[in-house]
Amino acid sequence: MTNHRHFRHRAAALAGAAAALALVVTGCAGAASGTPGASTDSATPVSGGTLKVAFWDDQQGCIDPNQVYWIESRSIDRQIADSLTDQDPDSGKIVPWLATAWSINADSTQYTFTLRDGVTFSDGEKFDATAVKTALDGTFALGPKSILGLTYLAGYGSTTVVDPTHVQVDFTKPNAAFLQATSTTTLAIEAPATYQQTPEARCAGAVVGSGAFTLDNYTAAKSAHLTKRADYAWPSGLVTNQGAAYLDAIDVTYIKEDSVRNGELTAGTIDVAWPRQPISDADQQVITAAGDVIESRALPGISSILVPNVTKGGPLADADVRNALQKSIDRTTYASTIFWADYPVVTSVVDSTTPFATDESKLLAYDPDGAKKLLDTAGWAVGADGYRYKAGQELTLHYPLTVSGAGEQLLQDQLKQVGINLSLDVVTAAQNTQKLAAGDYDLTGTYLTRADPSVLGSSLDQSSSKQASAVNSQDAATGASISELFATGLETPDDTARGTAYAALQSKLISTGSAFPIFERVQIAGVSNTVHGFAFTSEAFLRANDIWLEQ
Amino acid sequence: MFARYISGRVLQAVLVLWAAYTVTFVVLYLLPSDPVQLLLAAGNIDVTQISPDQLAALKHQYGVDQPVYLQYVNQLFEFVRGNFGESITKNVPVAQLLAQRLPSTLVLGASAVLLTIVLGVGTASLAVFAKVGWLRTVLSRLPAIGVSLPPFFVGLLLIQVFAFQLKWFPASGDSGAASVVLPAVMMAIPTAALLAQVLTRSLEDALDEPYVVTARAKGLSRSGIQWRHAFRNAALPALTLLGLLLGSALAEAVVAETIFTRNGIGKLAQESVLQQDVPVVQAIVVIAAALFVSINLIIDLIYPLLDPRIVRGHSVI
Repeated sequence: MTNHRHFRHRAAALAGAAAALALVVTGCAGAASGTPGASTDSATPVSGGTLKVAFWDDQQGCIDPNQVYWIESRSIDRQIADSLTDQDPDSGKIVPWLATAWSINADSTQYTFTLRDGVTFSDGEKFDATAVKTALDGTFALGPKSILGLTYLAGYGSTTVVDPTHVQVDFTKPNAAFLQATSTTTLAIEAPATYQQTPEARCAGAVVGSGAFTLDNYTAAKSAHLTKRADYAWPSGLVTNQGAAYLDAIDVTYIKEDSVRNGELTAGTIDVAWPRQPISDADQQVITAAGDVIESRALPGISSILVPNVTKGGPLADADVRNALQKSIDRTTYASTIFWADYPVVTSVVDSTTPFATDESKLLAYDPDGAKKLLDTAGWAVGADGYRYKAGQELTLHYPLTVSGAGEQLLQDQLKQVGINLSLDVVTAAQNTQKLAAGDYDLTGTYLTRADPSVLGSSLDQSSSKQASAVNSQDAATGASISELFATGLETPDDTARGTAYAALQSKLISTGSAFPIFERVQIAGVSNTVHGFAFTSEAFLRANDIWLEQ
Repeated sequence: MFARYISGRVLQAVLVLWAAYTVTFVVLYLLPSDPVQLLLAAGNIDVTQISPDQLAALKHQYGVDQPVYLQYVNQLFEFVRGNFGESITKNVPVAQLLAQRLPSTLVLGASAVLLTIVLGVGTASLAVFAKVGWLRTVLSRLPAIGVSLPPFFVGLLLIQVFAFQLKWFPASGDSGAASVVLPAVMMAIPTAALLAQVLTRSLEDALDEPYVVTARAKGLSRSGIQWRHAFRNAALPALTLLGLLLGSALAEAVVAETIFTRNGIGKLAQESVLQQDVPVVQAIVVIAAALFVSINLIIDLIYPLLDPRIVRGHSVI
C-alpha cells in the first residue's frame, strides 16, 4: 500500500581520527519512533533538563497550529497540541490518540469519533465532544487564513455533538483524506477558550492545547519556551513514554547562519540543530566527528517540484516542450551533486514517505537524446550559440526566484545541454508574488508537507486551489482530468481504491508535464549525543515525548 | 552668534528628515507593487480568493484607495504625530515592531561606536606618539589590514574562535551584555581602522606644523604638545569621518544581526525591503536619517569647542 523508506543516517566517528569518518546507513528502523539507537539504547531515561533547539528561521511568524504552514512552527506545535489521531511514521497507518475509535461511511462524507476520557487542556478545561466541535468549526472559520486547513477541511459541513464522548463530522462532498488530516497539527484540538481569541492573537502565542508541553511564550522569529505538563497522560500508542515528558522544558531559538547553528551544536550550546535545507555532507562530518548524531527523514508531501505556466502562450504551452523538459533533468546527478552520494533520488511528485507514493522513475528517466528529438519535432532548431530557436525566438524559460542556489544553477546547466535557456530571474519576495499573480513566468517552484497524497491538490488541483501553480499549470482539458483523479482519491476510505487513484494521478501529473519533480526533500537534524529518544513524527516533525537528556 | 549657529543647524536637520521621508515615499510608491496584494500574500491568501467588497475594505483600511498626493499628506501628518502605521506583512503596528527591535540595535550600535573611538584613537595616537620605533611601524600598518577584512568573514572568525573554541562569548542571540561583544567588535574593526588611518595622517601632519615647533621652543612638555595642541587640531577631520561612519552603522548592523542572530532593526530593514513592507521601510529610513542627522548635529556642535574659528566664520578674517 505504501512505499516507506524511513531511512536514517547514523554516522560514527573513527576513534582518534577526526577527519576519517564513515557514513553508515543503517537503513530502515524497525521501531515506531525514530529513536537513535532505539534497539541498543538500554540506558534508563532520567527526567530533567531543558532541550535547546535551534531552527533556521520563522518567516511566517505564527505559532497557532490551526493557521500555520511553516514546518518549523509545526514541530513546536506538535509538543503543545494533541490531535484526534496519530500517524505511524513507518506504515502511514492512522492510530488512536485523543479519539480511541472511529467509523467512516462508504463515501467518506461522515466520520464518527469516540473520544478519550480524562483528557484536559492546560488551562484546566475538559476535552470533550464540544471542544472538538469548537475546534473544527473554529479552524474552518479561519478560511484562507489557514491555507492547510482549507484543504484538510475541504467540503466541511458541520460537526455534531452526539454525547460528551462521541462526535460526528459531516462533509458536503467526499473527503477521504480527512482521517489523516485529524492526525496533523493543523487540525489539532485547542482549548475552547483559544477560539475566542482573534486569529492574530492566536498567531502571536495565545494558544492552549492538551499536549505534553505548554507554550509559555513565543516571540516570532526570536524564541519560544515550552514547559512540561506534569499531569500529562494521553499520548498516542506511537510514543513509548506514556506519562509526563522527561524534559522539564524546551527552548527554541532561530539561527539563520548554517555554520553558526552547526557550530553551536558541536560546541554544546544547543542540543538540536534543525535546518530547512539538508545539512551539507561536510558539515555532517564535522557534527559526527564531534560525537553528535545526524537524524533524517524524507518529508512526506509534495517533493520539490517545478510547475509550468502553460497559459501565457510561452514555449511550455506545447506538450512536446514540457515532455522534453521532463527528460532533460538528470535527477540522479542532481541528488549526488547538490547533496551527497547516497542522497535519495526523487521518484515521484510526492516524496517517498508519503502514503500511496508510487515509483515513477521510468517516467522521470534522464533522456537528453529523447528530449532533443522532441524539441526538433516541435520546431525548435539548434542555433549557433547552442540554444534552440523557433521563428527567431530563443527557447528561454523564465524562472523567477528569490535566491538562486547551486541546485538552480545545475538545473540551468542540464537544460542548456539540450538547448533550453533556463533564465534564473532573481527577484525580491514581493516581486515574485507580483509575477506569480500576473502569470509573468514560465516555471515556478513549490512543495508542501503532509503525509497524504491529497496534499498535491493544494498546489495542483484547479477545482480546489486558486494558486498560480494550479491555475496556470494545466490547460482546461488536462486540468479537468486531473481534478477528476483528485476527486476519486477523496471518494472512498478504501485504501486500495485510493491507491489506484493516486497512482494514476502521479503518473498523469508527470506525463502531462504538469509538474517536474526535482529532488526529494529530506529533513535532517543534527542531534547532540547527550539527547536520547529523539523521534520524528510521520510528517517529519519533532516528537519530544520520549526525549531525555544525559545528566 | 552661537544661538544662530545652532538654530541654523537644527533647521537643516529638519529639512534633511523631511527630504528623507519624501524621497523614500516617492521611491516606494514608484515600485510596481500593490500593498493589499502583498498583505494577502503575506497571509498566504491569493487575491482571487477575496471578494471585491473585502478587497475595497482592505484598500480603505490601508488608505491606498486615495490619490497618491493625499496619501502622502495624510501619512506625513500621521508620521509627525508619531503614528507610523501598520506593518503589511507582520500585521502589527510599526511602532510596536520598532519598540521591540530598536533597543537591541541601539545597544549594539552604541557599543560599536564606543569601541570604534577607543580602538581608532588608541591605534592612531600610539602609531604617532609611541616611543618604540617598530611599534609605530606596526601600528601604522594595522589599519590597512582592518579596512580590507570583509566584516562577514571577521564575524564568522570571531564566532569560531571566541564562541566555539574559547567559549568566552555567546555566538548568537541578544540577551545580556556578553552577546553584544562579538558583533560590536565585528562592526568596530573596519570603522576603527578607517578612523585610525585618517587620524594617524592628520596627527603626523599636525606634528610638522610650525606651532608645534613654537610650542617646543617655549619648553612645553611632550604630552602637552601632543594632546593639547597636535591632537586637538588633528581631531577635526577624524570627527567629520566619525559622523559619516556612524551613519553607516545601520548598514553594518544588517550583516552583524544576520550572523549573530540578533533581532534588531537592521535585520528588520532587510526583511522589510525584500517583502516591500512599505510602512516599516519608511519608518526605518526616517529613524536612520534622524540618527544620522542628530549625530552630525552633535558633531557640528563639538566643532566650535575644538576650533572656535568655526562659529565666528568669516568675521575673524
